[in-house]
Amino acid sequence: MNSSTDLSPAAPAAAAAPAGRPAFAPAVSRFAMIGVLVALVVLATALYPGFLSPANLRDLLLQNTAVGIVALGMTFVIISGGFDLSVGATYALGATVSAGVALSTGSPVLGILAAVGAGVVCGIANGTLVARIGINPFVATLGSASVISGIAYLYSSSAPFIVADPNFKILARSSVASIPTPIVVLAVTFVVGGVALAMTRYGRNIYAVGGNHEAGWLSGLRVKDLTASVYVLTGVLAAFAGTIDASRLGVGQADVGANIALDAIAIVIVGGTSLRGGEGAVWRTAVGLLIFATLTNLFYSLNLSQNWQLLAKGAIVLVAVGLDSWSRNRRS
Amino acid sequence: MNDPTPQAPTTSTPAIACRGARKVFSGSVAVAGADVVVRTGEVHALVGENGAGKSTLLGMISGRLAADDGTVEVFGHRLQGGNPRESRDHGLVAVYQELTMVPGLTAEANVFLGQVRTRRGLLDARGMRRRYLELCDELDIHVPPTALARDLSVSQQQMLEIMRGIESNGRILVLDEPTAALAEHEREVLYRVLRTLTARGTTIVFVSHNLDEVLDLSDTITVLRDGQVVRSAARADWTRPTLIEHMVGRTVDKLAERGTHPAGAEVLSARSVRLPGVLHDIDVTVRAGEIVGLWGLVGSGRTTFLRSLAGAEPASSGDLRIHGEEVAWPRTVRRSIDRGVVLVPESRKEALVLGMDGTSNFWLGRRRGGPFLDRGAEREDAAETAGFFAFDRSRLGAPVRTLSGGNQQKVLLAKWAGHRPDVFLIDEPTRGIDIGAKAEVLTSLVRLAAEGAAVVVTSSELEEVLAIANRLLVFAHGSVVREIASDDPEFNVDAVVRHGFSTGDTDELVH
Repeated sequence: MNSSTDLSPAAPAAAAAPAGRPAFAPAVSRFAMIGVLVALVVLATALYPGFLSPANLRDLLLQNTAVGIVALGMTFVIISGGFDLSVGATYALGATVSAGVALSTGSPVLGILAAVGAGVVCGIANGTLVARIGINPFVATLGSASVISGIAYLYSSSAPFIVADPNFKILARSSVASIPTPIVVLAVTFVVGGVALAMTRYGRNIYAVGGNHEAGWLSGLRVKDLTASVYVLTGVLAAFAGTIDASRLGVGQADVGANIALDAIAIVIVGGTSLRGGEGAVWRTAVGLLIFATLTNLFYSLNLSQNWQLLAKGAIVLVAVGLDSWSRNRRS
Repeated sequence: MNDPTPQAPTTSTPAIACRGARKVFSGSVAVAGADVVVRTGEVHALVGENGAGKSTLLGMISGRLAADDGTVEVFGHRLQGGNPRESRDHGLVAVYQELTMVPGLTAEANVFLGQVRTRRGLLDARGMRRRYLELCDELDIHVPPTALARDLSVSQQQMLEIMRGIESNGRILVLDEPTAALAEHEREVLYRVLRTLTARGTTIVFVSHNLDEVLDLSDTITVLRDGQVVRSAARADWTRPTLIEHMVGRTVDKLAERGTHPAGAEVLSARSVRLPGVLHDIDVTVRAGEIVGLWGLVGSGRTTFLRSLAGAEPASSGDLRIHGEEVAWPRTVRRSIDRGVVLVPESRKEALVLGMDGTSNFWLGRRRGGPFLDRGAEREDAAETAGFFAFDRSRLGAPVRTLSGGNQQKVLLAKWAGHRPDVFLIDEPTRGIDIGAKAEVLTSLVRLAAEGAAVVVTSSELEEVLAIANRLLVFAHGSVVREIASDDPEFNVDAVVRHGFSTGDTDELVH
C-alpha cells in the first residue's frame, strides 16, 4: 500500500456548495410512532384504569416476549432488504424440539441447545435459498416454512410433548431481581441487538446491503454472507422464542405460532422500519412491540373478541405500510 | 452560436415544437432551455456527446419527463409532461433502447398489446392476424406472428415495436439510439423501414451516435452540447467535420492543469484483457504519478474495461501485474481492494448508500479495527480525507441523498482515497456535476497523482481528460484503437474524436 500518500486538504473551495434540502420533515416523522405509543397508553389508561399496574404490565410483556424476540430478528432481515415468513414454523419447531429433547434426554438444557441448533439449521437453509441460490425471500421462506412445519409435526408425531420436569419451566417461570426471566431475556436481546445494529461494523454493513446492494458489493462487502447471516439470526431467535413459550406452558407442540410471522412483521413496520430495506432501528421495533402489546392488552381487557383483534392488527399494518409507501412516492 | 433555423416560416403546425424547454435533475441541469422545431414529415436527428442532454430532450418530447420550464408541443398541443400517454394520444410513439416487449407473448400479441381488436366482446384473432401480415407486408418485415418475443433478435423486437406504434396511428416516431444494439445488416433493415415510413408521411426523430447514419437519413440535424442546442440546420448545411466540431465544441477556460511531476515505477500492467463480446485484447500500463485517460463513445467498452481491472466483471480475463509481480486476475472487488486497486464507479447512485451519511459511506467496506464503530475517530478521518477533495466537512453528517452531484462525487472519491490505494480506477468522475465542482474534482485527481498514485480515468468529456491526462487510450468497439501521449501532436480533440468515431471496419485495419 502506498502509505506515503499524504491526503492534505485541498486549497479552499471556490464557492460553497448549494445547500441540500432541509432535513426537517423526516425528523418530525422519525419520532411519530413514539407519539402514537404515548397516545395509546393514555387511551388505555383512560379506558382501563388498571392498565399501568405492575401486574398488568408484567402480563403484557410476558405475553409478548416471544413475538418480541422474533420481531427483533425480523428487524435485521427487513433492514437487509429481506423478509422471513418461516419464523412461525421455526418457533414451533423450537418449542417442539426443546420439549421433545428435554423429555427424551431428561435435560432441559440439552433441550434448549437442541432447539437453538434447529434454529441455526433453519436459518442456514433460508440464507442459502435467498443469498446463494437467489430465490425471492418471500417465496423462499414461504416454502421453507412449510418444510420446517412438516418436520416439527413429523418429529412430534402431531402430538404435544408434555414435560413434567419442573426444571424445564425454570427458563420462563423464574425471576431475576423479581423481574420475570423472559422479560429480562427480552430486554437483553433488544439491547444487544440494538448495539449490534447501530454501533458495530456488522450492523452498518447490514444497512448497506439493504440500502444499496450494488454499492455494498462494489465496496468489497461479502454481500451474500451478510444476507445469509440475518436469516441465521432470525432462525435462532425464533427457535429460542419457541423454547421460552414451551417452557412457560410446559408443553411443546407443532401447531403453534401461526400468527407469529405476520405479527412480528407488523411490529417491525409499525415501529417505522421501512419494508424497502436500508432504514430502521431496533428501538423502532421496541416501540412497535409496545404499541402492539398495548393494543392487544386493551382489546383483551375490553373483552373484544379475537376477530376484532385480527381485523385491527391487519388494518394497522396496512396503514403503516401505506404511510411509508406514500411518503416515499412523494419524496421521489 | 445559435444559427437561425433555415426553414422558411410556415403556416402549418410543426410536428414537435420545444420552446425554452429546460430540465434539471437534482441540481444538475440536463437541458437548459432548448428550442427545437421538428417539421411534419421530416427525419430529424439529435446528436451530441454523452451527457449533452439528448435523452432528456427526447424524454420531454415523448412526455415521459415534464419540462421544468418552457413548453413542448406535439402538433400544437402543449404537453403537461410526466405522462407518456399524453403525447401518445397525439400520435407520438417512442421506441427506447430498453424495448417494451412482453417476452412470453407472441410477436402478434406484442404488436396488439394494449390495443387488441375485438368483435362482439371477444378477441378478433382473424382480424388481428390479417392486420399483422398487412403491416409486415407494408414494411417488408418478416417476423412470424406466432414466434415468442423472447426468441426474437433485438432487431426483430424493434420492428415489432415500430409496428405497434403504427397500429396505434402513430404519426411521429421517436427513436433513442435505435441502431446501438444492432449488427450492420440489421441496421440496413431498420433504415429501409424508416425510409418506407417517411414515404408514408411519418415524422421521425432519432438520437444516434453514428454520424454516418445521421448524415444518411436526416433532413434536419440538431446538435446539443451541455444541455443546449448548439445548432439546428438542414442536412445540406452539415458535413461530418462540422458535426464533430459542433458536438465537441471548444471550452475557453481550462478546468485543470496537468501535473508536472515525473512518473515513477510501473504500478499496474494488464495484458490481453478480454470479456467475450465486449472487450477484445486490451493492454494497459500505468506508472506511479501518472494519469491515464480512457476515452470512447458509449458502448466502446471503457467502463467495462475499468470494471474488469477492478474485479467487478467476473467473466473477464487477462494477465495482471502489480508492482511488477504477476497476480491472478481479480474475480471480486474485494480481492482488488486488498491489492490496492480501487474502482470509483460511474454511477453515484450505484456506488453510494444514499440513505447513509457521508461518514458511514466513507467507512463502508473498511475492514481494519475492531467490531465496534468509533464515531468520533471516523468523523475525524473522513473529514480529513474529504478535505483533500474540497468537500465541506460539516456536511459529512448529512445523508448523501441530500448532497449535490458534485458533493456526492467528492464523498465517493474520498471514500476510495481513504483506502490509501496505489491505483485508482475512476469512471466518469465529472458526469452531471456543475463546472465549479468539475474543476475541483479534476484538480484533486492531479493532486492524487502528484502524491504518487497511479490513476486511470474515463470521461465522456474529452477536453477534461485531455487537460489532466499524461496519456490517452482511445476506445472503439471494445478495443483500444490508439494510444496517444500528451506530447504527441495527435493529443487534441479533433484527432481523438476521429479515432473514436472510427467504424468497425477501420477498427479492424488499425489492429
